Amino acid sequence: MYLRSLHLRQFRNYREQRVAFSAAKTILLGENAQGKSNLLEAIELLATLRSHRTHRDRDLILDGATAAMITAQVERDLGVASLAIALRQGSRRLLTVNGENLRRQTDFLGTLNAVQFSSLDLELVRGSPELRRHWLDGLLIQLEPVYANLLQQYNHVLKQRNALLKDRQRSLAREQATNRSYQRQDAGTQAQVAASEENLGVNFTEQLALWDAQLAIAGTRVIRRRSRAIQRVAPLAQHWHEAISGSQESLTLTYLPSVAAEPDDPQVIQQKFLERLQERAIAEQFQGTTLVGPHRDEIEFVINQAAARQYGSQGQQRTLVLSLKLAELQLIEAVIQEPPLLLLDDVLAELDLNRQNQLLDAIQDRFQTVITTTHLGAFDAEWLKSSQIFTVKAGQLVEAEE
Amino acid sequence: MQHLPGIGPKTAQRLALHLIKRPEEEVKALARALVEAKTQVGFCSVCFHLSAEPVCEICRSPNRDNSTLCIVADSRDVIALEKTREYRGKYHVLGGLISPMDGIGPDQLNIQPLVRRVSQQKIEEVIVAISPSVEGETTTLYVGHLLKPFTRVTRIAFGLPMGGDLEYADEVTLARALEGRRELD
Ligand SMILES: Nc1ncnc2c1ncn2[C@@H]1O[C@H](COP(=O)(O)OP(=O)(O)OP(=O)(O)O)[C@@H](O)[C@H]1O
Ligand SMILES: [Mg+2]
Ligand SMILES: [Zn+2]
Repeated sequence: MYLRSLHLRQFRNYREQRVAFSAAKTILLGENAQGKSNLLEAIELLATLRSHRTHRDRDLILDGATAAMITAQVERDLGVASLAIALRQGSRRLLTVNGENLRRQTDFLGTLNAVQFSSLDLELVRGSPELRRHWLDGLLIQLEPVYANLLQQYNHVLKQRNALLKDRQRSLAREQATNRSYQRQDAGTQAQVAASEENLGVNFTEQLALWDAQLAIAGTRVIRRRSRAIQRVAPLAQHWHEAISGSQESLTLTYLPSVAAEPDDPQVIQQKFLERLQERAIAEQFQGTTLVGPHRDEIEFVINQAAARQYGSQGQQRTLVLSLKLAELQLIEAVIQEPPLLLLDDVLAELDLNRQNQLLDAIQDRFQTVITTTHLGAFDAEWLKSSQIFTVKAGQLVEAEE
Repeated sequence: MQHLPGIGPKTAQRLALHLIKRPEEEVKALARALVEAKTQVGFCSVCFHLSAEPVCEICRSPNRDNSTLCIVADSRDVIALEKTREYRGKYHVLGGLISPMDGIGPDQLNIQPLVRRVSQQKIEEVIVAISPSVEGETTTLYVGHLLKPFTRVTRIAFGLPMGGDLEYADEVTLARALEGRRELD
Protein backbone atom coordinates (compact mmCIF):
# COMPACT_ATOMS: atom_id res chain seq x y z
CA MET A 1 0.00 0.00 0.00
CA TYR A 2 1.41 3.34 -0.98
CA LEU A 3 0.02 6.83 -0.56
CA ARG A 4 1.04 8.57 -3.76
CA SER A 5 -0.43 11.98 -3.32
CA LEU A 6 -2.50 14.09 -1.02
CA HIS A 7 -4.45 17.24 -1.75
CA LEU A 8 -5.71 19.40 1.10
CA ARG A 9 -8.15 22.25 0.60
CA GLN A 10 -9.22 24.47 3.47
CA PHE A 11 -8.26 21.72 5.87
CA ARG A 12 -7.01 23.00 9.28
CA ASN A 13 -4.37 25.64 8.45
CA TYR A 14 -3.90 24.45 4.84
CA ARG A 15 -5.65 26.62 2.27
CA GLU A 16 -4.50 24.65 -0.76
CA GLN A 17 -1.70 22.12 -0.70
CA ARG A 18 -0.71 19.25 -2.93
CA VAL A 19 1.82 16.68 -1.75
CA ALA A 20 3.45 14.06 -3.96
CA PHE A 21 5.14 11.31 -1.96
CA SER A 22 8.21 10.14 -3.82
CA ALA A 23 10.00 8.02 -1.22
CA ALA A 24 9.01 5.35 1.27
CA LYS A 25 9.96 7.75 4.06
CA THR A 26 8.81 11.32 4.28
CA ILE A 27 10.00 13.76 6.93
CA LEU A 28 7.93 16.85 7.72
CA LEU A 29 10.26 19.37 9.29
CA GLY A 30 9.05 22.56 10.92
CA GLU A 31 8.71 24.77 13.95
CA ASN A 32 5.81 24.31 16.36
CA ALA A 33 2.26 25.07 15.23
CA GLN A 34 3.02 25.10 11.51
CA GLY A 35 0.79 22.24 10.38
CA LYS A 36 2.87 19.07 10.63
CA SER A 37 0.39 17.17 12.79
CA ASN A 38 -2.48 18.57 10.75
CA LEU A 39 -1.15 16.78 7.69
CA LEU A 40 -0.88 13.49 9.56
CA GLU A 41 -4.39 14.05 10.85
CA ALA A 42 -5.65 14.22 7.27
CA ILE A 43 -4.09 10.82 6.57
CA GLU A 44 -5.54 9.46 9.81
CA LEU A 45 -8.99 10.58 8.66
CA LEU A 46 -8.57 8.81 5.33
CA ALA A 47 -7.70 5.61 7.19
CA THR A 48 -10.20 5.67 10.04
CA LEU A 49 -12.65 8.56 9.39
CA ARG A 50 -11.75 9.69 12.88
CA SER A 51 -9.28 12.12 14.37
CA HIS A 52 -7.70 11.46 17.74
CA ARG A 53 -7.62 15.22 18.31
CA THR A 54 -11.24 16.20 17.76
CA HIS A 55 -14.79 14.85 17.40
CA ARG A 56 -16.09 17.92 15.64
CA ASP A 57 -15.74 18.38 11.92
CA ARG A 58 -15.85 22.12 12.20
CA ASP A 59 -12.48 22.08 13.99
CA LEU A 60 -11.04 20.51 10.86
CA ILE A 61 -12.25 23.20 8.50
CA LEU A 62 -10.01 26.22 7.90
CA ASP A 63 -11.16 29.08 10.10
CA GLY A 64 -13.60 31.23 8.15
CA ALA A 65 -14.26 28.57 5.47
CA THR A 66 -17.43 26.48 5.26
CA ALA A 67 -15.99 23.25 3.87
CA ALA A 68 -12.77 21.30 3.73
CA MET A 69 -11.67 18.70 1.22
CA ILE A 70 -9.11 15.91 1.54
CA THR A 71 -8.30 13.90 -1.57
CA ALA A 72 -5.70 11.19 -2.04
CA GLN A 73 -4.38 8.64 -4.49
CA VAL A 74 -3.58 5.29 -2.96
CA GLU A 75 -1.72 2.48 -4.68
CA ARG A 76 -2.87 -0.98 -3.68
CA ASP A 77 -1.91 -4.39 -5.02
CA LEU A 78 -5.12 -4.41 -7.00
CA GLY A 79 -4.77 -0.93 -8.49
CA VAL A 80 -4.92 2.75 -7.73
CA ALA A 81 -7.84 4.20 -5.79
CA SER A 82 -8.75 7.81 -5.29
CA LEU A 83 -10.33 8.80 -2.02
CA ALA A 84 -12.10 12.01 -1.11
CA ILE A 85 -13.61 13.33 2.10
CA ALA A 86 -15.58 16.56 2.06
CA LEU A 87 -16.18 18.05 5.49
CA ARG A 88 -18.99 20.58 5.57
CA GLN A 89 -20.01 23.00 8.25
CA GLY A 90 -23.38 22.00 9.68
CA SER A 91 -23.92 19.08 7.36
CA ARG A 92 -22.89 15.52 6.73
CA ARG A 93 -19.56 14.40 5.38
CA LEU A 94 -19.39 13.38 1.75
CA LEU A 95 -17.27 10.33 1.06
CA THR A 96 -16.20 9.19 -2.38
CA VAL A 97 -14.06 6.35 -3.66
CA ASN A 98 -13.04 6.55 -7.32
CA GLY A 99 -15.55 9.30 -7.87
CA GLU A 100 -18.46 7.29 -6.52
CA ASN A 101 -20.47 8.77 -3.65
CA LEU A 102 -20.81 6.38 -0.75
CA ARG A 103 -23.73 6.21 1.62
CA ARG A 104 -22.00 4.16 4.24
CA GLN A 105 -18.73 4.85 5.98
CA THR A 106 -17.87 1.15 6.00
CA ASP A 107 -17.58 1.26 2.22
CA PHE A 108 -14.97 3.96 2.53
CA LEU A 109 -12.87 2.35 5.25
CA GLY A 110 -10.26 -0.18 4.31
CA THR A 111 -8.77 1.42 1.21
CA LEU A 112 -6.05 3.18 3.16
CA ASN A 113 -4.69 1.73 6.39
CA ALA A 114 -2.44 3.55 8.79
CA VAL A 115 -1.00 3.21 12.26
CA GLN A 116 -0.61 6.47 14.10
CA PHE A 117 2.03 6.88 16.78
CA SER A 118 2.21 10.26 18.45
CA SER A 119 3.64 11.56 21.69
CA LEU A 120 0.04 11.56 22.93
CA ASP A 121 0.10 7.76 22.71
CA LEU A 122 2.64 7.77 25.51
CA GLU A 123 -0.41 8.57 27.66
CA LEU A 124 -1.97 5.24 26.68
CA VAL A 125 -0.58 3.45 29.72
CA ARG A 126 -1.14 6.10 32.41
CA GLY A 127 -4.17 7.86 31.00
CA SER A 128 -7.86 7.15 31.45
CA PRO A 129 -9.44 3.87 30.26
CA GLU A 130 -11.13 5.86 27.52
CA LEU A 131 -7.79 6.34 25.78
CA ARG A 132 -7.19 2.59 25.72
CA ARG A 133 -10.68 1.88 24.41
CA HIS A 134 -10.15 4.48 21.72
CA TRP A 135 -6.87 2.84 20.73
CA LEU A 136 -8.50 -0.58 20.48
CA ASP A 137 -11.49 0.78 18.56
CA GLY A 138 -9.21 2.52 16.06
CA LEU A 139 -7.40 -0.75 15.44
CA LEU A 140 -10.65 -2.69 15.10
CA ILE A 141 -12.09 -0.26 12.57
CA GLN A 142 -9.13 -1.00 10.33
CA LEU A 143 -9.26 -4.75 10.84
CA GLU A 144 -13.04 -5.02 10.47
CA PRO A 145 -14.59 -1.86 8.95
CA VAL A 146 -18.12 -2.98 9.90
CA TYR A 147 -17.07 -2.42 13.50
CA ALA A 148 -17.38 1.33 12.90
CA ASN A 149 -21.12 0.82 12.40
CA LEU A 150 -21.51 -1.53 15.33
CA LEU A 151 -19.80 0.92 17.65
CA GLN A 152 -21.85 3.81 16.36
CA GLN A 153 -25.01 1.85 16.89
CA TYR A 154 -24.04 0.96 20.44
CA ASN A 155 -23.25 4.58 21.24
CA HIS A 156 -26.58 5.63 19.83
CA VAL A 157 -28.53 3.14 21.97
CA LEU A 158 -26.46 4.24 24.95
CA LYS A 159 -27.37 7.88 24.38
CA GLN A 160 -31.08 7.03 24.18
CA ARG A 161 -30.95 4.88 27.29
CA ASN A 162 -29.08 7.60 29.18
CA ALA A 163 -31.70 10.14 28.13
CA LEU A 164 -34.42 7.88 29.54
CA LEU A 165 -32.50 7.40 32.81
CA LYS A 166 -31.88 11.15 33.14
CA ASP A 167 -35.58 11.70 32.70
CA ARG A 168 -36.33 9.14 35.40
CA GLN A 169 -33.79 10.74 37.74
CA ARG A 170 -35.53 14.11 37.34
CA SER A 171 -38.99 12.68 37.96
CA LEU A 172 -37.74 10.82 41.06
CA ALA A 173 -36.41 14.12 42.38
CA ARG A 174 -39.75 15.78 41.68
CA GLU A 175 -41.57 12.95 43.42
CA GLN A 176 -39.49 13.45 46.56
CA ALA A 177 -40.31 17.12 46.55
CA THR A 178 -44.06 16.47 46.32
CA ASN A 179 -43.88 13.77 48.98
CA ARG A 180 -42.90 16.42 51.49
CA SER A 181 -46.21 18.21 51.00
CA TYR A 182 -48.02 14.87 50.84
CA GLN A 183 -49.10 14.56 54.50
CA ARG A 184 -51.17 17.69 54.26
CA GLN A 185 -53.43 16.33 51.51
CA ASP A 186 -56.72 14.48 52.00
CA ALA A 187 -56.99 10.73 51.49
CA GLY A 188 -58.66 10.91 48.06
CA THR A 189 -55.92 13.05 46.50
CA GLN A 190 -53.26 10.87 48.10
CA ALA A 191 -54.68 7.78 46.44
CA GLN A 192 -54.80 9.57 43.08
CA VAL A 193 -51.21 10.76 43.30
CA ALA A 194 -50.01 7.30 44.30
CA ALA A 195 -51.84 5.70 41.37
CA SER A 196 -50.41 8.10 38.82
CA GLU A 197 -46.91 7.68 40.20
CA GLU A 198 -47.21 3.94 39.97
CA ASN A 199 -48.37 4.33 36.40
CA LEU A 200 -45.31 6.39 35.56
CA GLY A 201 -43.12 3.75 37.18
CA VAL A 202 -44.62 0.93 35.12
CA ASN A 203 -44.25 2.95 31.97
CA PHE A 204 -40.60 3.63 32.78
CA THR A 205 -39.82 -0.01 33.60
CA GLU A 206 -41.40 -1.14 30.35
CA GLN A 207 -39.47 1.37 28.29
CA LEU A 208 -36.22 0.67 30.07
CA ALA A 209 -36.62 -3.03 29.29
CA LEU A 210 -36.76 -2.19 25.58
CA TRP A 211 -33.52 -0.22 25.77
CA ASP A 212 -31.91 -2.90 27.94
CA ALA A 213 -32.55 -5.43 25.21
CA GLN A 214 -31.13 -3.13 22.53
CA LEU A 215 -28.12 -2.25 24.66
CA ALA A 216 -27.36 -5.89 25.38
CA ILE A 217 -27.52 -6.82 21.70
CA ALA A 218 -25.43 -3.91 20.45
CA GLY A 219 -23.05 -4.09 23.43
CA THR A 220 -22.43 -7.81 23.02
CA ARG A 221 -21.33 -7.24 19.42
CA VAL A 222 -18.81 -4.65 20.57
CA ILE A 223 -17.53 -6.80 23.43
CA ARG A 224 -17.02 -9.89 21.29
CA ARG A 225 -15.08 -8.02 18.65
CA ARG A 226 -12.92 -6.23 21.20
CA SER A 227 -12.19 -9.48 22.93
CA ARG A 228 -11.17 -11.11 19.66
CA ALA A 229 -8.95 -8.18 18.70
CA ILE A 230 -7.12 -8.28 22.04
CA GLN A 231 -6.56 -12.01 21.65
CA ARG A 232 -4.92 -11.37 18.30
CA VAL A 233 -2.83 -8.34 19.21
CA ALA A 234 -1.67 -9.52 22.66
CA PRO A 235 0.88 -12.17 21.59
CA LEU A 236 2.39 -9.80 19.01
CA ALA A 237 2.77 -7.00 21.56
CA GLN A 238 4.23 -9.46 24.03
CA HIS A 239 6.81 -10.53 21.47
CA TRP A 240 7.88 -6.96 20.70
CA HIS A 241 8.04 -5.97 24.33
CA GLU A 242 10.30 -8.87 25.08
CA ALA A 243 12.55 -8.00 22.14
CA ILE A 244 12.85 -4.31 22.95
CA SER A 245 13.51 -4.89 26.64
CA GLY A 246 16.21 -7.43 25.82
CA SER A 247 14.13 -10.25 27.34
CA GLN A 248 14.10 -8.42 30.67
CA GLU A 249 10.37 -7.92 30.73
CA SER A 250 7.25 -9.80 29.91
CA LEU A 251 4.05 -8.03 28.96
CA THR A 252 0.51 -9.29 29.29
CA LEU A 253 -2.45 -7.56 27.75
CA THR A 254 -5.84 -8.35 29.22
CA TYR A 255 -9.26 -7.25 28.16
CA LEU A 256 -11.43 -6.47 31.18
CA PRO A 257 -14.91 -6.05 29.74
CA SER A 258 -17.72 -4.61 31.81
CA VAL A 259 -19.63 -7.84 31.09
CA ALA A 260 -17.63 -11.08 30.90
CA ALA A 261 -16.87 -12.10 27.31
CA GLU A 262 -16.47 -15.79 28.13
CA PRO A 263 -17.77 -18.17 26.88
CA ASP A 264 -17.84 -16.59 23.46
CA ASP A 265 -21.53 -17.11 22.75
CA PRO A 266 -23.65 -14.05 21.94
CA GLN A 267 -26.71 -15.47 23.73
CA VAL A 268 -24.77 -16.10 26.92
CA ILE A 269 -23.10 -12.69 26.88
CA GLN A 270 -26.40 -10.92 26.24
CA GLN A 271 -27.94 -12.80 29.14
CA LYS A 272 -25.10 -11.80 31.45
CA PHE A 273 -25.37 -8.26 30.18
CA LEU A 274 -29.04 -8.12 31.17
CA GLU A 275 -28.27 -9.62 34.57
CA ARG A 276 -25.59 -7.00 35.24
CA LEU A 277 -28.06 -4.29 34.26
CA GLN A 278 -30.53 -5.73 36.78
CA GLU A 279 -27.89 -5.63 39.50
CA ARG A 280 -27.13 -2.00 38.86
CA ALA A 281 -30.72 -0.91 38.20
CA ILE A 282 -31.17 1.15 41.34
CA ALA A 283 -27.79 2.85 41.09
CA GLU A 284 -28.52 3.67 37.45
CA GLN A 285 -31.82 5.32 38.31
CA PHE A 286 -30.21 7.48 40.95
CA GLN A 287 -27.19 8.42 38.89
CA GLY A 288 -29.27 8.89 35.76
CA THR A 289 -26.77 7.11 33.55
CA THR A 290 -25.85 3.68 32.21
CA LEU A 291 -23.31 1.91 34.42
CA VAL A 292 -22.90 -1.35 32.51
CA GLY A 293 -21.51 -1.89 29.03
CA PRO A 294 -18.50 -1.58 26.76
CA HIS A 295 -18.29 2.16 27.36
CA ARG A 296 -16.85 1.12 30.73
CA ASP A 297 -14.45 -1.54 29.47
CA GLU A 298 -10.82 -1.50 30.52
CA ILE A 299 -7.70 -2.89 28.90
CA GLU A 300 -5.02 -3.83 31.36
CA PHE A 301 -1.27 -3.85 30.72
CA VAL A 302 0.85 -5.88 33.13
CA ILE A 303 4.66 -5.96 33.04
CA ASN A 304 6.30 -8.72 35.07
CA GLN A 305 3.14 -9.19 37.17
CA ALA A 306 2.80 -5.50 38.04
CA ALA A 307 0.16 -3.20 36.59
CA ALA A 308 1.98 -0.89 34.21
CA ARG A 309 -0.48 1.88 34.92
CA GLN A 310 0.60 2.21 38.55
CA TYR A 311 4.06 0.73 38.63
CA GLY A 312 5.51 1.14 35.16
CA SER A 313 8.57 3.37 34.85
CA GLN A 314 8.75 5.99 32.11
CA GLY A 315 11.05 3.72 30.12
CA GLN A 316 8.79 0.68 30.53
CA GLN A 317 5.80 2.67 29.41
CA ARG A 318 7.62 3.82 26.31
CA THR A 319 8.65 0.26 25.50
CA LEU A 320 5.07 -0.85 26.02
CA VAL A 321 3.53 1.74 23.71
CA LEU A 322 6.15 1.11 21.05
CA SER A 323 5.38 -2.63 21.30
CA LEU A 324 1.67 -1.96 20.90
CA LYS A 325 2.28 0.12 17.79
CA LEU A 326 4.56 -2.47 16.22
CA ALA A 327 2.02 -5.16 17.02
CA GLU A 328 -0.67 -3.05 15.38
CA LEU A 329 1.42 -2.67 12.21
CA GLN A 330 2.07 -6.38 12.09
CA LEU A 331 -1.54 -7.36 12.72
CA ILE A 332 -2.99 -5.00 10.13
CA GLU A 333 -0.46 -6.23 7.62
CA ALA A 334 -1.36 -9.85 8.35
CA VAL A 335 -5.07 -9.21 8.01
CA ILE A 336 -5.16 -7.03 4.92
CA GLN A 337 -2.13 -8.65 3.29
CA GLU A 338 -0.47 -5.31 2.55
CA PRO A 339 1.75 -3.18 4.79
CA PRO A 340 -0.13 -0.18 6.24
CA LEU A 341 1.29 3.33 6.54
CA LEU A 342 3.03 4.41 9.70
CA LEU A 343 2.54 7.96 10.96
CA LEU A 344 5.09 9.07 13.54
CA ASP A 345 4.16 12.35 15.13
CA ASP A 346 6.96 13.91 17.20
CA VAL A 347 7.61 10.59 18.76
CA LEU A 348 11.07 9.66 17.56
CA ALA A 349 12.63 12.34 19.74
CA GLU A 350 10.85 10.80 22.74
CA LEU A 351 12.54 7.43 22.27
CA ASP A 352 16.10 6.60 23.27
CA LEU A 353 18.57 5.24 20.72
CA ASN A 354 17.86 1.58 21.46
CA ARG A 355 14.11 2.03 21.01
CA GLN A 356 14.62 4.22 17.94
CA ASN A 357 16.75 1.53 16.33
CA GLN A 358 14.23 -1.18 17.14
CA LEU A 359 11.55 0.87 15.49
CA LEU A 360 13.61 1.77 12.42
CA ASP A 361 14.65 -1.86 12.06
CA ALA A 362 11.06 -3.00 12.11
CA ILE A 363 9.98 -0.45 9.54
CA GLN A 364 12.85 -0.77 7.08
CA ASP A 365 11.48 -0.01 3.65
CA ARG A 366 8.38 -2.10 3.99
CA PHE A 367 6.08 0.43 5.64
CA GLN A 368 5.61 3.82 4.05
CA THR A 369 6.33 6.18 6.91
CA VAL A 370 5.55 9.85 7.45
CA ILE A 371 7.46 11.47 10.29
CA THR A 372 7.13 14.91 11.83
CA THR A 373 9.96 16.59 13.68
CA THR A 374 11.18 20.00 14.73
CA HIS A 375 14.83 19.17 13.91
CA LEU A 376 16.76 16.58 12.00
CA GLY A 377 19.38 16.07 14.70
CA ALA A 378 17.95 12.82 16.00
CA PHE A 379 17.93 11.07 12.63
CA ASP A 380 20.35 8.47 11.45
CA ALA A 381 22.36 9.63 8.38
CA GLU A 382 21.22 6.66 6.30
CA TRP A 383 17.63 7.57 7.04
CA LEU A 384 18.05 11.18 6.01
CA LYS A 385 19.61 10.10 2.73
CA SER A 386 16.72 7.85 1.75
CA SER A 387 13.97 10.22 2.91
CA GLN A 388 12.02 12.88 1.16
CA ILE A 389 12.10 16.01 3.34
CA PHE A 390 9.50 18.78 3.37
CA THR A 391 9.71 21.99 5.34
CA VAL A 392 6.35 23.00 6.81
CA LYS A 393 5.66 26.65 7.46
CA ALA A 394 2.26 28.22 8.21
CA GLY A 395 0.26 25.66 6.29
CA GLN A 396 2.60 25.38 3.32
CA LEU A 397 5.04 22.67 2.30
CA VAL A 398 8.34 23.22 0.53
CA GLU A 399 10.45 20.28 -0.57
CA ALA A 400 13.99 20.65 0.80
CA GLU A 401 16.88 20.89 -1.64
CA GLU A 402 19.17 17.89 -1.90
CA MET B 1 -36.50 28.63 6.20
CA GLN B 2 -33.43 27.07 7.71
CA HIS B 3 -35.67 25.30 10.22
CA LEU B 4 -37.38 23.34 7.44
CA PRO B 5 -36.20 19.74 7.10
CA GLY B 6 -33.53 19.21 4.47
CA ILE B 7 -32.84 22.91 4.02
CA GLY B 8 -29.32 24.11 4.78
CA PRO B 9 -28.31 27.74 5.35
CA LYS B 10 -27.37 28.27 1.70
CA THR B 11 -30.61 26.91 0.26
CA ALA B 12 -32.57 28.86 2.86
CA GLN B 13 -30.91 32.06 1.71
CA ARG B 14 -31.58 31.25 -1.94
CA LEU B 15 -35.27 30.57 -1.26
CA ALA B 16 -35.67 33.73 0.79
CA LEU B 17 -34.04 35.90 -1.86
CA HIS B 18 -36.19 34.27 -4.54
CA LEU B 19 -39.41 34.95 -2.62
CA ILE B 20 -38.52 38.58 -2.00
CA LYS B 21 -38.07 39.12 -5.73
CA ARG B 22 -41.48 37.63 -6.68
CA PRO B 23 -44.59 39.82 -7.13
CA GLU B 24 -46.43 40.55 -3.91
CA GLU B 25 -49.61 38.74 -5.04
CA GLU B 26 -47.73 35.54 -5.64
CA VAL B 27 -46.12 35.63 -2.21
CA LYS B 28 -49.49 36.36 -0.58
CA ALA B 29 -51.08 33.42 -2.38
CA LEU B 30 -48.34 31.13 -1.12
CA ALA B 31 -48.73 32.41 2.43
CA ARG B 32 -52.50 31.87 2.25
CA ALA B 33 -52.05 28.37 0.91
CA LEU B 34 -49.69 27.54 3.78
CA VAL B 35 -52.09 28.85 6.41
CA GLU B 36 -55.02 27.03 4.81
CA ALA B 37 -53.11 23.78 4.71
CA LYS B 38 -52.25 24.21 8.36
CA THR B 39 -55.84 24.98 9.45
CA GLN B 40 -57.68 22.58 7.15
CA VAL B 41 -55.49 19.52 7.03
CA GLY B 42 -55.61 17.58 10.25
CA PHE B 43 -55.27 13.96 11.18
CA CYS B 44 -57.65 11.14 10.40
CA SER B 45 -59.37 10.19 13.67
CA VAL B 46 -59.02 6.49 12.88
CA CYS B 47 -55.53 6.03 11.45
CA PHE B 48 -53.86 9.43 12.08
CA HIS B 49 -52.82 9.86 8.47
CA LEU B 50 -52.96 13.46 7.19
CA SER B 51 -56.49 14.25 6.09
CA ALA B 52 -58.71 17.22 5.35
CA GLU B 53 -61.76 15.18 6.47
CA PRO B 54 -62.35 13.73 9.95
CA VAL B 55 -61.84 10.25 8.48
CA CYS B 56 -59.33 9.87 5.64
CA GLU B 57 -59.97 8.50 2.18
CA ILE B 58 -58.16 5.23 2.85
CA CYS B 59 -60.16 4.52 6.01
CA ARG B 60 -63.43 5.34 4.21
CA SER B 61 -62.71 3.25 1.14
CA PRO B 62 -64.97 0.15 0.84
CA ASN B 63 -62.42 -1.50 -1.45
CA ARG B 64 -59.73 -1.89 1.12
CA ASP B 65 -59.11 -4.94 3.24
CA ASN B 66 -60.20 -4.28 6.81
CA SER B 67 -58.43 -7.27 8.27
CA THR B 68 -54.86 -6.09 7.59
CA LEU B 69 -53.28 -3.13 9.28
CA CYS B 70 -49.93 -1.62 8.36
CA ILE B 71 -48.16 0.38 11.05
CA VAL B 72 -45.88 3.19 9.97
CA ALA B 73 -44.04 5.99 11.76
CA ASP B 74 -45.12 8.84 9.57
CA SER B 75 -47.62 9.97 6.93
CA ARG B 76 -44.76 10.12 4.43
CA ASP B 77 -44.44 6.36 4.77
CA VAL B 78 -48.12 5.90 3.91
CA ILE B 79 -47.58 7.95 0.77
CA ALA B 80 -44.49 5.90 -0.14
CA LEU B 81 -46.33 2.60 0.38
CA GLU B 82 -49.40 3.80 -1.51
CA LYS B 83 -47.23 4.53 -4.53
CA THR B 84 -46.32 0.85 -4.79
CA ARG B 85 -50.04 -0.04 -5.17
CA GLU B 86 -49.10 -3.39 -3.65
CA TYR B 87 -50.88 -2.95 -0.39
CA ARG B 88 -54.67 -3.19 -0.09
CA GLY B 89 -55.12 -3.07 3.67
CA LYS B 90 -55.40 -0.11 6.03
CA TYR B 91 -52.86 1.90 7.97
CA HIS B 92 -52.05 3.22 11.38
CA VAL B 93 -49.66 6.18 11.66
CA LEU B 94 -47.76 6.36 14.95
CA GLY B 95 -46.65 9.94 14.44
CA GLY B 96 -42.99 9.29 15.20
CA LEU B 97 -40.70 6.82 16.92
CA ILE B 98 -39.81 6.26 20.56
CA SER B 99 -36.82 8.49 21.28
CA PRO B 100 -36.05 9.54 24.87
CA MET B 101 -33.43 11.98 23.56
CA ASP B 102 -36.19 13.92 21.88
CA GLY B 103 -38.60 13.49 24.77
CA ILE B 104 -40.75 11.02 22.83
CA GLY B 105 -42.08 8.08 24.81
CA PRO B 106 -44.97 5.72 23.94
CA ASP B 107 -47.44 8.25 25.37
CA GLN B 108 -46.46 10.84 22.81
CA LEU B 109 -47.30 8.46 19.95
CA ASN B 110 -50.65 7.15 18.68
CA ILE B 111 -50.12 3.82 20.39
CA GLN B 112 -53.09 3.72 22.80
CA PRO B 113 -55.58 4.17 19.91
CA LEU B 114 -53.70 1.46 18.00
CA VAL B 115 -54.09 -1.04 20.81
CA ARG B 116 -57.77 -0.15 21.11
CA ARG B 117 -58.23 -0.58 17.38
CA VAL B 118 -56.54 -3.95 17.23
CA SER B 119 -58.21 -5.32 20.36
CA GLN B 120 -61.69 -4.27 19.28
CA GLN B 121 -61.71 -5.04 15.56
CA LYS B 122 -61.30 -8.23 13.60
CA ILE B 123 -57.76 -7.78 12.42
CA GLU B 124 -55.97 -10.84 11.16
CA GLU B 125 -52.55 -9.38 10.55
CA VAL B 126 -50.62 -6.35 11.63
CA ILE B 127 -47.64 -5.50 9.44
CA VAL B 128 -45.02 -3.32 11.07
CA ALA B 129 -43.33 -1.20 8.39
CA ILE B 130 -40.82 0.76 10.41
CA SER B 131 -37.22 1.38 9.41
CA PRO B 132 -34.60 -0.70 11.23
CA SER B 133 -32.90 2.25 12.94
CA VAL B 134 -32.22 2.12 16.67
CA GLU B 135 -35.44 4.02 17.40
CA GLY B 136 -37.34 2.01 14.78
CA GLU B 137 -36.26 -1.29 16.31
CA THR B 138 -37.26 -0.14 19.78
CA THR B 139 -40.66 1.05 18.62
CA THR B 140 -41.22 -2.17 16.68
CA LEU B 141 -40.37 -4.26 19.75
CA TYR B 142 -42.73 -2.23 21.89
CA VAL B 143 -45.66 -2.31 19.49
CA GLY B 144 -45.14 -5.99 18.76
CA HIS B 145 -45.18 -6.80 22.44
CA LEU B 146 -48.49 -4.93 22.94
CA LEU B 147 -50.28 -6.35 19.91
CA LYS B 148 -49.24 -9.98 19.96
CA PRO B 149 -51.95 -11.03 22.45
CA PHE B 150 -54.58 -9.96 19.90
CA THR B 151 -53.34 -10.86 16.45
CA ARG B 152 -50.56 -12.04 14.18
CA VAL B 153 -47.77 -9.46 13.94
CA THR B 154 -45.28 -9.40 11.06
CA ARG B 155 -42.69 -6.90 9.97
CA ILE B 156 -41.55 -6.05 6.50
CA ALA B 157 -38.20 -7.42 5.42
CA PHE B 158 -35.54 -4.86 4.81
CA GLY B 159 -33.44 -4.88 1.76
CA LEU B 160 -33.04 -1.36 3.03
CA PRO B 161 -29.75 -0.10 4.37
CA MET B 162 -29.48 -0.10 8.17
CA GLY B 163 -30.70 3.22 9.48
CA GLY B 164 -32.24 4.07 6.12
CA ASP B 165 -35.49 5.97 5.94
CA LEU B 166 -38.50 4.32 4.41
CA GLU B 167 -39.30 7.37 2.34
CA TYR B 168 -36.00 7.18 0.46
CA ALA B 169 -36.40 3.57 -0.56
CA ASP B 170 -37.38 3.12 -4.17
CA GLU B 171 -40.72 1.54 -4.97
CA VAL B 172 -39.29 -1.74 -6.16
CA THR B 173 -37.39 -2.22 -2.90
CA LEU B 174 -40.46 -1.41 -0.88
CA ALA B 175 -42.68 -3.74 -2.86
CA ARG B 176 -40.21 -6.56 -2.46
CA ALA B 177 -39.85 -5.82 1.23
CA LEU B 178 -43.60 -6.10 1.67
CA GLU B 179 -43.61 -9.48 0.02
CA GLY B 180 -40.78 -10.78 2.16
CA ARG B 181 -42.33 -9.85 5.48
CA ARG B 182 -41.92 -12.30 8.32
CA GLU B 183 -43.29 -13.09 11.76
CA LEU B 184 -42.08 -10.74 14.50
CA ASP B 185 -40.37 -12.82 17.15
N1 LIG C 1 -9.42 24.92 11.68
C1 LIG C 1 -8.26 25.59 11.63
N2 LIG C 1 -8.13 26.68 10.85
C2 LIG C 1 -6.96 27.37 10.79
N3 LIG C 1 -5.88 27.04 11.49
C3 LIG C 1 -5.95 25.97 12.29
C4 LIG C 1 -7.13 25.19 12.39
N4 LIG C 1 -6.90 24.19 13.26
C5 LIG C 1 -5.64 24.34 13.68
N5 LIG C 1 -5.05 25.40 13.11
C6 LIG C 1 -3.68 25.89 13.29
O1 LIG C 1 -2.78 24.87 13.01
C7 LIG C 1 -1.65 25.03 13.82
C8 LIG C 1 -1.31 23.74 14.52
O2 LIG C 1 -0.90 22.85 13.58
P1 LIG C 1 -0.24 21.46 13.99
O3 LIG C 1 -0.94 20.88 15.14
O4 LIG C 1 -0.15 20.68 12.75
O5 LIG C 1 1.19 21.96 14.47
P2 LIG C 1 2.58 21.19 14.38
O6 LIG C 1 3.30 21.71 13.21
O7 LIG C 1 2.35 19.74 14.48
O8 LIG C 1 3.23 21.76 15.69
P3 LIG C 1 3.97 21.01 16.91
O9 LIG C 1 5.38 20.87 16.49
O10 LIG C 1 3.82 21.99 18.02
O11 LIG C 1 3.27 19.74 17.14
C9 LIG C 1 -1.93 26.10 14.82
O12 LIG C 1 -1.30 27.27 14.41
C10 LIG C 1 -3.41 26.24 14.74
O13 LIG C 1 -3.82 27.55 15.00
MG1 LIG D 1 2.35 18.42 16.12
ZN1 LIG E 1 -57.52 7.09 8.14
